[in-house]
Amino acid sequence: MSNKLSDSFPTDREVVLGILNNSEDALNKLYIGYFPMVLQFIMNNNGDEDDAKDVYQEAIIILYNKIKSGDFELSSKLKTYIYSVCRRIWLKKLAQQSKKTNNVSDFEDIVSVEVDLEYHEEKDLQFEKMGSALQNLGEPCKTIIQDFYINNLSMQDICEKFGYTNTDNAKTQKYKCLQRLKKLFFQS
Amino acid sequence: MRNDIELDAIIEDYLQGKLTAAEAEAFEKLRANDPVIDHKVVAHKVFMDAIKQYGKVLSLKEQMDRAHARIDVASLSEQLKPHPSFIINMWRKNKSAMAIAASFILLTIFSIYSIQHNTMQNGTYEVMRREITNIKNNQNKLVRTINSSPKAEKGHINAAKFGGTGFALTANGYLCTNYHVVRDADSVYVQNNKGESFKVKVVYRDPQYDIAILKITDDSFTPLSSIPYKLKKNSIGMGENVYTLGYPKDDAVLGEGYISSKTGHVGDTTQYQVSIPINPGNSGGPLLDNYGNIIGVITAKENQVDGATFAIKSKYILEALNAIPQDSLGKKAVFAKKNPLQGLNRTKQIDKIENYVYMIKVYN
Repeated sequence: MSNKLSDSFPTDREVVLGILNNSEDALNKLYIGYFPMVLQFIMNNNGDEDDAKDVYQEAIIILYNKIKSGDFELSSKLKTYIYSVCRRIWLKKLAQQSKKTNNVSDFEDIVSVEVDLEYHEEKDLQFEKMGSALQNLGEPCKTIIQDFYINNLSMQDICEKFGYTNTDNAKTQKYKCLQRLKKLFFQS
Repeated sequence: MRNDIELDAIIEDYLQGKLTAAEAEAFEKLRANDPVIDHKVVAHKVFMDAIKQYGKVLSLKEQMDRAHARIDVASLSEQLKPHPSFIINMWRKNKSAMAIAASFILLTIFSIYSIQHNTMQNGTYEVMRREITNIKNNQNKLVRTINSSPKAEKGHINAAKFGGTGFALTANGYLCTNYHVVRDADSVYVQNNKGESFKVKVVYRDPQYDIAILKITDDSFTPLSSIPYKLKKNSIGMGENVYTLGYPKDDAVLGEGYISSKTGHVGDTTQYQVSIPINPGNSGGPLLDNYGNIIGVITAKENQVDGATFAIKSKYILEALNAIPQDSLGKKAVFAKKNPLQGLNRTKQIDKIENYVYMIKVYN
């Protein structure tokens, strides 16, 4: 794909439909289209490129989940929505680092996104929990679980991949791993 | 153990809807009867949702990272980052505050500016000061240097060095002129419009207001008829038409103008600024208004400003007169209550006062 994408914005409708259809192309266009706006905002408010990347990706995840959840209504332009979400996230991060948050240099209009953010924070907490639980699970359990539940491999595939003598052994192994993971997940 | 694995598999299949209708019904019955199994189902559902979401977010992040890799972040951030200059940054961030501060400073400057009473409208305050100092240095005393013409003076071998103008204050020979005209004088003579010359004595000097009072001591002097003009005690308004009679050359010359400011050089309140063409030799000349009142004494002009002449206010002539013993001034020292020049036209007025304005010749 050529560079000219970076200065052309996809239409809002295109993006929403693309995300609903799991189109990676639509996501790419969305991502490349609005990143400079967020980069500008973060860099002019005590942040750097990495901060911009983190904040922007979080905002895209929020938008993505919102669209995927099905009750998405465009009450503002996508651009405004993304900007508002990024702004809110970044201000929160700045406050956590107890940096100066007054005198924010704004570059776009903003809309209220509090509700979406609260919902996202819950989800994010779960994500973090799952991540650390998987991390603590160790190999090969982590890979088996990921292959089976996330990458949707069959027990047969897993059996071959890990060299188990039969699927029953693999199933037993997966069961043990799952029990441990559940324990880690619900206890943390 | 084996049963647990089986149960788990069944729960999983149940949640994914893989069980047949009969199996599902049986399982639901089992679930309703056994709270432990029910709890397991719920927990498993929550867990499955969490891990699915985890998987989705993870893949989304991967996608975004791929997209991110395509963006030239370095050059973008070069473009968008805050300006490296501290001042421009400050400006961008605090535009409104700075605008307020700037307008406050401007306001302050203008207030100070107006308090200072400066007449020049252009340039900044400081520049103005410098200019004024400059002008101050260039201020000219309007003393005329008389070219040597020995034959002009009868009874004197030496020609007069400086010349000025003076006018009669009393009929018995008291004259008024500028202090700077007679400052370094060894001897002073006055000459009237008929060419008669009289010796005078300086009886009063006031360097502060630049006023000197002379007394004609010559024996050949016959007292004048009563003084036609009147000394104005109060100050006069801006824009009033005025004229002066003086001796920038050997004959009297008329100059006409108007009061352009109530203060003189650098806001000097003892002077008027007059827009009137004058030349060296005019110093000490009377400044009269349309009604023939003496309102001041011509003293100086500014080099760098066109048409800025300064005249001492008549009030200070009166003050100078008060310093001289009343009896020596004679009976006619007090000016007439009624001004005989009032109502006459300019030519008639000049005709009358001409005899009372003298050329002053200074020898040293």
